[in-house]
Amino acid sequence: MGIHFREVSHEYASYQVGDYQAINKITLSIEDENEFICLVGHTGSGKSTLAQHMNALIFPTEGEVEINGKVITKKRDKKVNYNLLRKHVGLVFQFPEYQLFEETVEKDIMFGPMNFKVSLEDAKIRAAEAIRLVGLNESYLRRNPFNLSGGEKKRVSIAGILAMDPDILVLDEPTSGLDPFGKRQLMELFQNIQKETKKSIIIITHDMDLVYEFANRVIVLNDGDLVYDGNEEDLFRKDELTTWALGLPETIKVLRRLKEQFHLDINPYQKTVDLAFEELKKVMNK
Amino acid sequence: MKNIVIGQFVPGTGFFYKLDPRTKIVSIVFLMIALFLLENITQLLIAFGLAVVMLIIGRLSIKRIVRGLKPIFVLLIFTFLFQIMFNQEGTLLVNQQMSLSYTSIAGILVITVLWRYLAHFKRFNFFLFLVWVAGVYFLLIYFHFGPTFAPFSLKVYQKGVEMSIFVVIRLLIIITLSTVLTITTKPTDLTQGLEKLLRPMKVIGMNSEDFALIISISLRYIPTILDEANKIMLAQASRGADFSEGKLKDKVKQVISLLVPMFIIAFKRSEDLADAMESRNFIPGKPRTRIYELKFNWNDLMTSIFTAACFALAIVLRVI
Repeated sequence: MGIHFREVSHEYASYQVGDYQAINKITLSIEDENEFICLVGHTGSGKSTLAQHMNALIFPTEGEVEINGKVITKKRDKKVNYNLLRKHVGLVFQFPEYQLFEETVEKDIMFGPMNFKVSLEDAKIRAAEAIRLVGLNESYLRRNPFNLSGGEKKRVSIAGILAMDPDILVLDEPTSGLDPFGKRQLMELFQNIQKETKKSIIIITHDMDLVYEFANRVIVLNDGDLVYDGNEEDLFRKDELTTWALGLPETIKVLRRLKEQFHLDINPYQKTVDLAFEELKKVMNK
Repeated sequence: MKNIVIGQFVPGTGFFYKLDPRTKIVSIVFLMIALFLLENITQLLIAFGLAVVMLIIGRLSIKRIVRGLKPIFVLLIFTFLFQIMFNQEGTLLVNQQMSLSYTSIAGILVITVLWRYLAHFKRFNFFLFLVWVAGVYFLLIYFHFGPTFAPFSLKVYQKGVEMSIFVVIRLLIIITLSTVLTITTKPTDLTQGLEKLLRPMKVIGMNSEDFALIISISLRYIPTILDEANKIMLAQASRGADFSEGKLKDKVKQVISLLVPMFIIAFKRSEDLADAMESRNFIPGKPRTRIYELKFNWNDLMTSIFTAACFALAIVLRVI
């Protein structure tokens, strides 16, 4: 099962600038379980378009996407219930403002499950479970979603998708607009969710520090082409990084600089500040 | 939604792009009045020829204008049919007895289904429609087995045919004119032109600047809001909202799930815009300068003369 892209292209028709190819012949596979994927690429590289193909919100203009065994092509197939695919793959949009609408957080989280014919009692249980998973306590359930802070809104919108109990969770820039602490907290949250539920998680992000620390698979898009699909260790050893408009994580940058400047014998590929510190201490003690 | 041409600016270079928006607006108003002064079909056909020449001079793609006519095609057909059926002057051209029967109703249903099915293939769409109309016509006359009821007669008069062609051509010219205006004029230029033209209205207490600002902001935000609506729809669809199926109760809920974020985002945007304008020292009612001032040049003069000539000719023809 899972999601399989086969030579998928998507072209947006635009009246004023002409047709515009957002993604170009992409082939990739995503499993149902135990994946923690970061999808990176510069602005306008087609990340969001790719993400929207993952739960059949938009259709490929060429090629086919297979989601949970159902094949999606250019043409709408009446036999396929596209709505059910969205239960299988949950997509959280970048801005929570696009989806929050109810008067209480609980009702808003219940909207998703109720659309998939979950009973009222079950939906309530799921809402409580989901709000716990995103790290908020149950008192939030009775609050008005419009009076929450940006970070809390984001968590509630993620809970709204989690309550649908999807096998694969896709998040479009969940860390944008948060402070560094909030970003880290959210990423740790996803890691916990992943460990706890074994769901596959796909995250679109620009933050290379987070990619290096959390991802176990990275997909890089550049101008609509898939240019890299592999683990995070190899990615940052590649020279093409700058041509893909990606930077290095801060730890690698600092350690590399130190290595060059003082001719230290260290391994600059350290995922966290703590690990980098340990590495430096080792050299210092020598 | 992306194929609607009316009310959409298409970048380009050509005669009409270089004109002052004021000239364009005034000319089009006068040309339309002139159009309504015309009385017989030959004059109108000449006007139609002039409109086509205008498109060629402006190097505008006729295909694009025709594509823009598609949404109002139904309106054109209805106008045509109405005129042809209800105008009862002049000599009688066709007098056809018709009636309904079970077989003819069944036949109409069958060809309607067939027509809609074939229309899925998208090609020869208009041709199919004509075939359908002809089919219905013949079924109503000849296809009767068993009892017939509700007899009526289809009467077409000479004047009716003339008037229907007349009205349709007039509509076509009007739409072509307004499409030329909107295709070649940026919304901002259009409102600036309107603002300048409506300035004398200040005497009766209407501030043309405010008016122009309101129009330009609303025009500016139509695509933005559409874009937002689309995103909200995707976000809710991704939570299982199905806007096409389901019971009425579910549907109401799903529409609400669209409307609430829509309003919140629209209000938020308008507040942000107000802040952004104020921080750039916009004060309502105070005079403002423009980066691009409108200029009246030779092209405008020529267009004005052409318009005046057409208008005068139309009046003369009407009076004689």
